Amino acid sequence: MTTKKKRTPNTERSGWVVIAPDSVTDKNKHGSDPVFLRLRNPSTDGASLYLLGSGDEWLYEVKAFEEEFHSWFVGEAVQRDGRLVFVTPMDPLFLILPYLMKSGREGKFQPVDQVVKDEDFPACSRLLSCSCSFLHIAEEKEVGGLKFHRYSQERTMNWLKKKVERTAAALKTKNVSVGEGVKSTTYIRIKSESEGREEDYLRYAHGLISEYISEALSKALLKHLGLPELTSPKEAEPPAKKRKLSDKPVEAGEDYTKFNSADFARKPPKKMTAAQKTLAKVDKSGMKSMSSFFSPKSK
Amino acid sequence: MSCHSSVTHLHVSPVGQAERVPVHLLPCEIEHNGPAQVSQYFTATMKDHKGVKAVSFRGRGLKGQEICCPAGYTGLVLKDTNKPGSDQEDRIVRVSSVFDKLTYWNLDNPPTSDDTVVMAMDWPELAEAIHEPIDE
Amino acid sequence: MDLGPFEADNTVSCRLSSQIPDICRTEDCCLGIDEAGRGPVLGPMVYGICFCPVSKKQELKDLKVADSKTLTEEERERLFHNLDEAKSYVGWALHVLSPNTISTSMLQRTKYNLNALSHDTAIGLIQYALDSGVQLKEIYVDTVGPAEKYEEKLSQRFPGIEVTVRPKADSLFPVVSAASICAKVARDRVVKGWKFAEDLGDVDADYGSGYPNDPKTKAWLLKYLDPVFGYPQFVRFSWSTAQTLLDSKAVTVHWDDDEEDGEKAAKRLNNKSMLSFFSASAGSDDQSRQTHRFFTDRRLRGLSSL
Repeated sequence: MTTKKKRTPNTERSGWVVIAPDSVTDKNKHGSDPVFLRLRNPSTDGASLYLLGSGDEWLYEVKAFEEEFHSWFVGEAVQRDGRLVFVTPMDPLFLILPYLMKSGREGKFQPVDQVVKDEDFPACSRLLSCSCSFLHIAEEKEVGGLKFHRYSQERTMNWLKKKVERTAAALKTKNVSVGEGVKSTTYIRIKSESEGREEDYLRYAHGLISEYISEALSKALLKHLGLPELTSPKEAEPPAKKRKLSDKPVEAGEDYTKFNSADFARKPPKKMTAAQKTLAKVDKSGMKSMSSFFSPKSK
Repeated sequence: MSCHSSVTHLHVSPVGQAERVPVHLLPCEIEHNGPAQVSQYFTATMKDHKGVKAVSFRGRGLKGQEICCPAGYTGLVLKDTNKPGSDQEDRIVRVSSVFDKLTYWNLDNPPTSDDTVVMAMDWPELAEAIHEPIDE
Repeated sequence: MDLGPFEADNTVSCRLSSQIPDICRTEDCCLGIDEAGRGPVLGPMVYGICFCPVSKKQELKDLKVADSKTLTEEERERLFHNLDEAKSYVGWALHVLSPNTISTSMLQRTKYNLNALSHDTAIGLIQYALDSGVQLKEIYVDTVGPAEKYEEKLSQRFPGIEVTVRPKADSLFPVVSAASICAKVARDRVVKGWKFAEDLGDVDADYGSGYPNDPKTKAWLLKYLDPVFGYPQFVRFSWSTAQTLLDSKAVTVHWDDDEEDGEKAAKRLNNKSMLSFFSASAGSDDQSRQTHRFFTDRRLRGLSSL
């Protein structure tokens, strides 16, 4: 192609192509519309987008399939933003857990509505309308018709373990390739092939569950599952020069599995050149304008 | 600081009536949002040979295939209803059309099950394994 | 000449051919190759071969075939008719390269240039004649690119056949002129009766010669420019005439293999990584946790806003 036009930033995002469970759009008895809102991400501690539906009974997570250089034809129109947004059910306990853990340090039984509070994310109290049982992560006491809860590490570990096992089974059914993400140099496989495979599935499932819990909890869970810790993924990362630096097409057959986290295209370079620093500044402001979508109008 | 307090309402009432539309994911970025003569130029020239579709766009050969939304899922096209400059704090998006399958296109390469968008369709089923409540 | 097979699907390439005269399977034959429609921005490029027994060279010459470019359309039609009359000893075959084939070949990731496309098409037609039992001994070709190199390429590909590649071969060798007439007649007919695969209603057929410098062609290209799709497949998108018009009048489209100078590409890539850096770390102090490869493999990431 002779075209060498610079890409202009896509600022006018006014349409979204979404895949969502039918429960989101089913006429619900509450008659209220689902809402997209931002809540504290239990893994990153930052803001993430979620959806509450059916009168706050069901929680959903929002992820996007996103690759560069994609756009949509929707009916007789073009939508420049080529993302495919996935709305999938989410267990609200993952979002409630950090609040319970925090208050659990005091060791007291407390009413959950006093615990699940966050001045940065006032909407988090809506999670308490979700259908879920706190008994998976807390002990319960009932006094005078009122319920009080206290975080339980033991219950939480058992609950998470069940989740890991169920996820591992689903990975197997779906035939997801879980092989050899990171290999520790000191970790010597002495188990049989099938046992090893079992472990690969469990470890992979643990990694997925860890997307929804704090790092400390993730480590504790690994121990609870009886899986040895592997060396840090950082050491297993491919050398910097192996990261994709050209915009050549990714060849089919390139083995992504060798990168534990295919971050190779996303991670910023460790050292920034002056030009990159300038770019970083420019982009920051760009991000601000995008996120301003959710910020209240200035008062 | 409560910068995360605003919400976006999703107007679902018209889903029943929403128009079913064909959707195509293209391997290029088109700097345009708005109408296009998709059926005249694109759909009319599409070919299908044993499930592998072929078409060209801007003189480039594309190969693609149709993939279905996972069972229990529906494709929604959401549109922003807020007028620019409106002082409403909460945003409202509505379902403007729906789809149950989409066609994605690769540049030159025939589609395979290793294509990232096909793999991404694994997510909902796995999400359910991760997130479905554990029985007490 | 039955153009039916091509007209049934003019988005792909197609071979059309005459019956193989029996005599060509038993006697030593000569074969000429020429092309029509290499330059135009519109319509197909047609490759033609014509063959006859070496012993019939004079008879072919007596049919008064001459370089098609010096003839009017009517004269070419008449000469093609003469060739058809001589089908007991003259055979031909054509390869119609649709404009869509030309565009998509030249613009594919691994660019396929027009010379390579021409050479491969010519080789394909010669092979077709051989496979049909034609006793080829001599091949005459009008040059495409440097004559010596092409001659060497064809000689190596077809050992035992005497290959002559010459500039202006179509005016020097009647068998090349004959091939040229077949190709040109086919191209003229195809262009005249072009059926648009697009659903465009009545399309103005006054597109002139199809050469970029023809004012009629230029006017047509301006009239039928769609801001998103550019042109119908009748237009060769790989021609700079089309590219230039699209660059200035159509919506910009970016592909992952767009040529950029190194600096721009590097900037863009940094841009991307910096962007994801900030979105991933929005509100987070924890930089050490990486997204699980299940998600990165699938290009899935969490969102912090719609």
